Amino acid sequence: MVSATPSFRQLSVCLRCIRQPSSSSSPVNGIPLRLLSTSTAARQEVQTNAPAAAQPPATFIPEYMQKWGTLDPNRIETKRDERRLMRREGILPIGSRRRRAALRRSSLRNIPEVPFEQLPYQCFQEARKILQEDRQEKLKQIETQTLRLRNLVAQDPAMSGGVEAKEARIRSMKNHINELVILADINDPMVKKKFEDGTGDMNKPIYRYLADKKWRQYKRLVLEQRITQMSIVPDLLPALDLIVDVDLAFSRREVAPGEFVDSLVSEQMPRLKIQSFEPGEKLITVLVVDADVPVPEKDGFTYRCHFIAANIPISPTRTSVPLIRIDHQDRKATDPSARHIALPWFPPWAHRGAPYHRMAVFILEQTEAKALNIAELEKTKRDGFILRKFIDIHGLKPIGATLFRTKWDDNMTGVMQRAGLVAEVDIEYKRKRVEPLPYKRRTERMR
Amino acid sequence: MNLSTLRPAFWSLAPSQYRIPTALSKPTQPLLKLASQSSPFSSTQNLQRRKKGKKVILDARITAIRYHLTHPLTPRPLRFSRTRFLRHWTIHRAWMLFLRKRRWAEERELERQYMSMRAACEALRLLDENGNAVPAEEAGAFGPDAGKLGPRGKEVGRLYRQAMTKKGIWEHGVPIEYARIQTDFPGREGWNHGWTR
Repeated sequence: MVSATPSFRQLSVCLRCIRQPSSSSSPVNGIPLRLLSTSTAARQEVQTNAPAAAQPPATFIPEYMQKWGTLDPNRIETKRDERRLMRREGILPIGSRRRRAALRRSSLRNIPEVPFEQLPYQCFQEARKILQEDRQEKLKQIETQTLRLRNLVAQDPAMSGGVEAKEARIRSMKNHINELVILADINDPMVKKKFEDGTGDMNKPIYRYLADKKWRQYKRLVLEQRITQMSIVPDLLPALDLIVDVDLAFSRREVAPGEFVDSLVSEQMPRLKIQSFEPGEKLITVLVVDADVPVPEKDGFTYRCHFIAANIPISPTRTSVPLIRIDHQDRKATDPSARHIALPWFPPWAHRGAPYHRMAVFILEQTEAKALNIAELEKTKRDGFILRKFIDIHGLKPIGATLFRTKWDDNMTGVMQRAGLVAEVDIEYKRKRVEPLPYKRRTERMR
Repeated sequence: MNLSTLRPAFWSLAPSQYRIPTALSKPTQPLLKLASQSSPFSSTQNLQRRKKGKKVILDARITAIRYHLTHPLTPRPLRFSRTRFLRHWTIHRAWMLFLRKRRWAEERELERQYMSMRAACEALRLLDENGNAVPAEEAGAFGPDAGKLGPRGKEVGRLYRQAMTKKGIWEHGVPIEYARIQTDFPGREGWNHGWTR
């Protein structure tokens, strides 16, 4: 048994390394999260990871292990050090032993690291030359096109065939320039590297373009599928074109679209990360609607609004919308127009025995970034809330959505009591007994 | 240098390197040591201690997959380090860019040649007997009815009409000017029975 212990430990170490979740952008224990893939694993981001696997190992280190000194996973080259690194830090050394040795020796001799663009590979350098020539060409084209656009704008509409024709031409020329701006940078390896590392500047169009493309390749497809599968789109809105990426999380718990969320977890307000891919700042309204409120009298369902917050600014670099913090700021604010939350968070709840409730979160863009009147929004009634009407009244445009589900669970009683729904706790929904048709009824004789 | 001394070494390598994986007669023998399985179809190794006397069950499909994946004839998967991959990507992008530019240049060259021929034909069409250019109204028709004469008759565009004759170009079967390139669907007007040259 004693001899078996280290191997087991190593195995668990390996498993820990493999199961590293990609929720954080920086590597947790020194191992790059992107293992030889062209893009970061979007699939992993969408999956819900078991939180237990993500916990770092306990920090207690015995004395004899502390004597080993610092072990840099990038620099160690002996087998013994590798073993010690795996035992003590629980991580694997990075790269090959040859690479690590080269790194260590060059650092010992103080040899400066060659930057990636200057690596002395002939084919690579020739390729870079071609790409840079192309980039210069594109920059020249951008210059001439901008000049032409400026001339066109200054031109009399009668000369360019009417106002509409002129506007159409300006639009198409602008699109062309935007295309050229993307094309000028898309072949740059450093841009690709920075984007994959997540250090790209989202104020630059190329990084926005790459992020948008990546989002549309997997995450948006999943979200769209969930939204249509769970009939959010025909039920709450007639159509929805998603253009912002929305991440929903309750404090630390990240929620994949459509996931069941424990009532205790969803008692507090969520934290939203809204990534816009269009330049400029936007004012948004965040709205949470329960799409499945049962109405036993009518034997049907209705809607309920759980949350409205308006006038929240977002931009490609300003992505975080921590609703709890916004709530705190609202409470401190003396000026009523500076507040954001119109209808405070009402924890999602479901009756015992009732089918699950779809909680849809909508991101609505306010037209021309005009601020809405919070005092007016406060008059919105929660019960029987119709989203289409709300959008029409306030002139909003849905740009993003996500959803989670809630159902009766063990913590629901407490949540409902705290939310002031004591009368509802004991209500249990049951299926109506459907009387069998006469010809299907069993006779007394058969019983 | 005499290579004959080296030959035996190559011979010993050659058959094992280039054996063709036709028969799966004895692939299991070396792989038995690698894995023992508890679940029926799982490619991961079960590293727990084996019970003595318990027979190892190995799925035949895993055996086959593993055999072919580790076979020397199977190409090695393309595994690169980060920077190596980026360099590879850079070169690939440059090559794609080069190909695109070359294709574009070829297309422009073809277009230039076509336009040049077209301009020459147009000049011939507007040429009278004396070699002077005439206005377009006085010249004959062009395109499918190139043989149609204009108001000044045969004296305008004689060379053009001669250039446009298709007689003897393709004698067999359908006349060349009535022929049509094969496409997925038949033409809109079908067969014109009244067509003459």
